[in-house]
Amino acid sequence: MKEKAEIREQLQAPDSRDLRIGVYVCHCGKNIGGTVDCVKVAEHARDLPGVVLAKDSLYTCSEPGQEQIKADIKEQKLNRVVVASCTPRLHEPTFRAACEAAGLNPYLLEMANIREHCSWVHLHDKEAATEKAKDLVSMAVSRAARLAPQVELTVPVTRKAMVIGGGVAGIQAALDMADAGYHVYLVERSGSIGGRMAQLDKTFPTMDCSICILAPKMSEVGRHPNIELLTLSEVKSVSGYIGNFNVEVLKKARYVSKECTSCGDCIQVCPQLAPDEFNAGLSIRHAIYIPFAQAVPSTFLIDMGQCLNNQGIVACDRCFQACSHKCIDFSQRDQIIEIEVGTIVVATGVDVYDPTALTELGYGKFPNVITTLEFERLINAGGPSSGELIRPSDRRRPSKVAFLQCIGSRSKRSNPYCSNVCCMNTIKDALLIREHWPETEIYVFYIDIRAFGKGFEDLFRRARREGVIFIRGIPGEIIEDINTGDVTLLGENTLLGEQYRYSMDMVILSVGIKPRRDSEDIQRLLNLSTDTDGFYMEAHPKLRPVDTTTGGVFLAGAAEGPKDIKDSVTQASAAASRANILMSRGEVRVPALTSRIDPDKCTACGLCARVCPYHAIQGSKEQGYYRVIEAACQGCGACVPECRFEAIDQTHFTEAQIVSQIDSVLANDPHEKIVAFACNWCSYAGADFAGVSRLQYPHNVRIIRTMCSARVSPAWIERALLKGVGAVLVSGCHPADCHYNNANQNTARRVERFWKRMERIGINKDRLRLAWVSAAEGAQFARVIEEMEAGLQKLSPRQISQDAEKLRKSLVKKSETT
Amino acid sequence: MTTIKLWKFFAREDLYECYQCARCTGSCPAMEVAPAFGPRETILKCLNVGHEKVVQDERIWLCCTCNVCEDRCPQKIPISDLLVALRNSAARRGNIPGRLVMAIELLAKTGRSMIVHQLDEMRAHHGLAPLPPAPVEEIRAILEKTGLREVVEF
Repeated sequence: MKEKAEIREQLQAPDSRDLRIGVYVCHCGKNIGGTVDCVKVAEHARDLPGVVLAKDSLYTCSEPGQEQIKADIKEQKLNRVVVASCTPRLHEPTFRAACEAAGLNPYLLEMANIREHCSWVHLHDKEAATEKAKDLVSMAVSRAARLAPQVELTVPVTRKAMVIGGGVAGIQAALDMADAGYHVYLVERSGSIGGRMAQLDKTFPTMDCSICILAPKMSEVGRHPNIELLTLSEVKSVSGYIGNFNVEVLKKARYVSKECTSCGDCIQVCPQLAPDEFNAGLSIRHAIYIPFAQAVPSTFLIDMGQCLNNQGIVACDRCFQACSHKCIDFSQRDQIIEIEVGTIVVATGVDVYDPTALTELGYGKFPNVITTLEFERLINAGGPSSGELIRPSDRRRPSKVAFLQCIGSRSKRSNPYCSNVCCMNTIKDALLIREHWPETEIYVFYIDIRAFGKGFEDLFRRARREGVIFIRGIPGEIIEDINTGDVTLLGENTLLGEQYRYSMDMVILSVGIKPRRDSEDIQRLLNLSTDTDGFYMEAHPKLRPVDTTTGGVFLAGAAEGPKDIKDSVTQASAAASRANILMSRGEVRVPALTSRIDPDKCTACGLCARVCPYHAIQGSKEQGYYRVIEAACQGCGACVPECRFEAIDQTHFTEAQIVSQIDSVLANDPHEKIVAFACNWCSYAGADFAGVSRLQYPHNVRIIRTMCSARVSPAWIERALLKGVGAVLVSGCHPADCHYNNANQNTARRVERFWKRMERIGINKDRLRLAWVSAAEGAQFARVIEEMEAGLQKLSPRQISQDAEKLRKSLVKKSETT
Repeated sequence: MTTIKLWKFFAREDLYECYQCARCTGSCPAMEVAPAFGPRETILKCLNVGHEKVVQDERIWLCCTCNVCEDRCPQKIPISDLLVALRNSAARRGNIPGRLVMAIELLAKTGRSMIVHQLDEMRAHHGLAPLPPAPVEEIRAILEKTGLREVVEF
């Protein structure tokens, strides 16, 4: 019997006489050339079918490198170009543009990743790396032979934007886009915009009053004709794609209408009390309240969790009676608002670390151990003590104060990263105490003081000159004197090599910042990636620092990583500028990666429509066939393997193209090789990251890229096993992190089914592995390959060919019975 | 006496996680009572001057293996494992306090690490039966199996 793919391949087999492929092997300076013998790789390429020229160059991405490709396309009449260099995630757009400039359809370019997937991960085995590079080029050439020109669809961009999060980053991004003339929806979860910055007393290194510089921006947002402020609102669902997002926002009832003048008559009569979130729980507020004096909108709200009129029963109407403007409206209900936007800026900010878990520090147990955020409210004139420095236990002014650095940061017990702002925040706070209560003794216990920014070192020097004592060594223990409330710090001054024991009136824990506890919700709604620390990941750490891998979605502020105010504002303006580019252009080209159904072969069974995560396949039995709505199709390819009649194929990731790559890998010594299918967004990027990190792993793996792991067809695995492959890896994004709306559920289902089949036939199941590898998990990718190689070492070539024979027999049997 | 590599007992890479915050020494009870060789300094010396020097220092025997340092360590460095490994290594090189050697000899001979003559009297006073004889042979076998004989003669 003939396998599906073979039949298809014969149908589409290109006539090598028509092919004119040019291969360019890049040295990338020493990055590739230092490990891979690029001259030999080019020589090897020259003999491949369809190749008319193969050249090696020092930097193919340079201007001369690109000019060479353009010249060759014109003079040598190349109709396919293969560039063997870095990851296509980096320079595919560069070389596509070069092809296009020379009149060649950009989809006729193919890249072989011989840097991230080869030279950088096999630094110490030059020969093997060169052999692998040859293989990768062969794969690319055979795929290139089957490429077809494509025309990209142009879609309009809605000239409206949504900003999620109303902290300083969200405010800046909203203002920049609104000033450029675009309508902006600013969605804020709490009752007022302002975010963390509004809670701070002063800012470093200039010692500006935080709310004084923020409040004007907040009111500008409030009155800007292009900004629609949605407070007490949360994003509930997002559908659509770049330029055309449909968003559902849940706007919770405020129970107070816009006419509120914030006179405050209502709070005089409200009987219900609750901890004041804005003051970090150090004071109380009423059930009807305004978050803080400068709040925008300047409208009171009712916390229904605390109000006596819960669940529609009006048991108390004192506020209603007290309000002279009659602004209280208990009949308000939560509502879902549907908005259409072209771009989205994510500025959801951060939470602060809760040090309760570090029991040795006594936070939550000893009243005079507080956090930096509590301290900010304590010394703020609008705070619970009206700006008086007092300690919580007896409201006495402390004369000896200690700051403890790196609490919750740089630790495997909490957050492994440096929180970036705590050093300077402590220095600022120490100076504030010095300024207002100069007789106070101030001690800062630290590990390293990181004063890296503009003006930071000056501030640090000033703190030392003004007598703030810096002691290197974090206390291991804090003991409280229950009679006085004083606390004793036990530790070691590492620079003196001496034990210390300091009695303090108050201790301030300089707590770190961490991703919002529910940051996963937005991550899933927008298909974002997160790094290993949980912050949203940028599309490229250096060159696309505010873009995400989801088109039209940009990042601003600390949600992307710990940041101070200046950096948040800078990034917000950058994100707004990126979004403005899209909106001012008004249209965007989407990659031609959609699925297509051949109506002649379609039996209208509807299986494909059932797996499509975007409902982009429509049709019916009555109609006799199904078809793909191209504008809705996102190009995951999940539908293709589902079709039993070979009626669907994915543009630019066709069956024939990928099967040719598999065949090319397995042409020589198949039993020694691992074929790894990796999805573009997570696993392929994870393998790239392994390369960037120079993690070394076995060289017998050959990675084949698909857009989504759900594109991986069981027929490919079958074909590889029949050809005697050593092992097959199918890898994709972690469940629920899939960039195609959980299309990778299909991956898991299909692999599990294949395992069962292997079990039935009696093939070693370990030869097919399923691994979820995110873009940040380079080490995980390397580990998986190492484990697979270790498993492969235990298998003899004989066993592998026996397995292939078993599979072949089972196929024959199957075809006989059907 | 055979020398056994310290790094067989302790993953050397774990030491590189240390950034000298000194929470370990700050919480060390041995440091409270004796000018001992705190965990932070022990790690730093292993890194900077080498464990060869560290295993010669008799102060490593002052650790009471309470494990608090390990509990406080933000980097989850298995400090107690390091201290045990260091002492294993030190003992093999002859750096072992004489009193400890005596206790081992006694343990091998009598099954007890110390002899308290009043013990039986005290037990009788409280109406407890005298202690049963220690299973000396079994204890010796265990001591031998752990390789203690390579370090101390008993």
